[in-house]
Amino acid sequence: MDKKGKWYGTTFLTFLCIFWIFPVLCVLWNSFKDKTSINLKPFELPAGRTFVGWENYAQAIDKYGLLKSVGWTVFITVFSVAAILICCSMCGWFITRVRTKWTKFIYALCIFSMVVPFQMVMFTLSLVTNRLHLTTPWGLIVVYLGFGAGLAVFMFTGFVRSIPIEIEEAALIDGCTPVQTFFKVVLPIMKPTYISVGILETMWIWNDFLLPYLVLDIKKYKTISIIIQYMKGSYGSVDMGAIMAALILAVIPVVVFYLSCQKYIIKGVAAGAVKG
Amino acid sequence: MAEVELKGVTKIYEENADSRKKKKKNQKGGAPKSSGIKVTDEGVVAVEDFNLDIHDREFIVLVGPSGCGKSTALRMVAGLETITRGQLLIDGKVMNDVEPKDRDIAMVFQNYALYPHMTVRQNMEFPLKLRKLPQNEIDARVNHAAEILGITEYLDRKPKALSGGQRQRVAIGRAIVREPKVLLMDEPLSNLDAKLRNQMRAEIIKLRKKISSTFLYVTHDQTEAMTLGDRIVVMKFGEIQQVGTPQEVFDHPANLFVAGFIGVPMMNFFDGRLDRKADGSYEVVVDGVRFGLSKEKQATLAANKAESQAVTVGVRPEHIVPVTEGAGSLEGTIEVSELMGSSQHLHVSACGKECVIIQPANDAVRMGDRIRFSFSPDTIHVFGSDGRNLENAKE
Repeated sequence: MDKKGKWYGTTFLTFLCIFWIFPVLCVLWNSFKDKTSINLKPFELPAGRTFVGWENYAQAIDKYGLLKSVGWTVFITVFSVAAILICCSMCGWFITRVRTKWTKFIYALCIFSMVVPFQMVMFTLSLVTNRLHLTTPWGLIVVYLGFGAGLAVFMFTGFVRSIPIEIEEAALIDGCTPVQTFFKVVLPIMKPTYISVGILETMWIWNDFLLPYLVLDIKKYKTISIIIQYMKGSYGSVDMGAIMAALILAVIPVVVFYLSCQKYIIKGVAAGAVKG
Repeated sequence: MAEVELKGVTKIYEENADSRKKKKKNQKGGAPKSSGIKVTDEGVVAVEDFNLDIHDREFIVLVGPSGCGKSTALRMVAGLETITRGQLLIDGKVMNDVEPKDRDIAMVFQNYALYPHMTVRQNMEFPLKLRKLPQNEIDARVNHAAEILGITEYLDRKPKALSGGQRQRVAIGRAIVREPKVLLMDEPLSNLDAKLRNQMRAEIIKLRKKISSTFLYVTHDQTEAMTLGDRIVVMKFGEIQQVGTPQEVFDHPANLFVAGFIGVPMMNFFDGRLDRKADGSYEVVVDGVRFGLSKEKQATLAANKAESQAVTVGVRPEHIVPVTEGAGSLEGTIEVSELMGSSQHLHVSACGKECVIIQPANDAVRMGDRIRFSFSPDTIHVFGSDGRNLENAKE
């Protein structure tokens, strides 16, 4: 590409980035404005009378119990991701190393679960979770494990295929049991895939609205995405200031998490693509 | 330190009925074709009726072309493959169902199989830590092995920061720190370049003197087999073709396959005829030219009651002698001349076949020249129509 072409490209991508990030910035500065100016002049920066400082944040936390829902969201996300990582990495390893018609069937099932749209199963899922009394955060973790397994098993399987089996055989000869082989040898090698699967699943579970809304007993347990929906209130009353503050609080952890780990996503996705 | 016995060891990979039928259809009557895959009703036969006694501290090399079952045999000794039939004994104990970790063996793999997340020291410590040895003994053993292999300065590096030769040394180090009864090596030098391979071959010869394990080494490189092994086992299609010292196998190949496989360039073969004369002496006739046989060969042929018959006559390239006179010699045309430094390899078209002659480097030789050659009576090998060396006693 010549110099001129590069300049055009850079300009185009800069505008695209601004266009992309503008709604997020808009939410950020509106979270420091009073309710009326958010509604009337949403694109104006907070200044003078419209600037309310941390008031919206305090209201979101005190009035709507945002901290409690942050707690539940963290709980559900951490345990769901941990369950997905442990179970699916073992499953991916087993499927790759033990080639029977059953393991092939399980793998096909995992792939199939990725292509079935969630909307197709959501009502039956809601019914089933009710019947099985899975309407608690613990129950939701089980449901997330099921829904997250498809992608996770797919990624782990792809990576395990790229690990030479001789490494595991060497571990067996060196004195490892199969369980030790997994935890002492295979798991550390799979670290990049663990991180990338972890990031993808964390972002999905943290931001998810529909699944917790369908499964959880909402009177007792509210995640961040649910509580934001509740801030709309009834009879059309919308607390925009609190919503903006809650949105920012909800986004910060996942953005920080993503930025600190993004280099591993590429590593994990590309792993196994070529023979190392 | 350990004796290893393999008694009638057979490995059959079970296959589903459809693929078995397909493979069987491709090979009439269950006999191996050129692919070498032998299929029975039980499945694909990888190793069949493998019998071998390995003595204490002996260095045995399994050699053969790709797919001959040598690695499968080694993996059965390691416990990485189950044994379909037969018995494996280490120091008199049946090991068929013993876990690999409990066999007191160590293995070096072709692709090193180092743990990439561990340093060299951690790689070498790993098997010892699993056996819960005291740390001071672990340190002593690792340092000693590192000294033997000359990798002391790399102990704190990760495998990715090492060259191929250094990695293979680490892999050997990880195997020898355990002081195993049997050290298994599966083509350990195949991933190295030619120069490094020669260097590492010498290292293995030196290493062997320093440790007291029994060695079982797999390679497809006959030079490695000849230089490393106390005895070599030549395999083809899952069956042992010959077991013997490198010199025995080179001088007295059991059959056409062994004769062709061992030796570089390979042995030359001519269609000929074995004639038993009225006085009981033998001669071979190639392209109408009669060649006498040495007294020893005459005696062994007579002892084996060899009759007059069509045979394949084998002569190694270095045993073919260019001659100037016409009587008692064959004639051919030089197709290709390869100068190898001190010697010259002549690819000669003679008797309807191409043969190779090794002679001292000679600038006067030109492609397309006619050349006459002969062989001395003690260098001729005579193979029957079934490929068996007629000098060997019938089984």
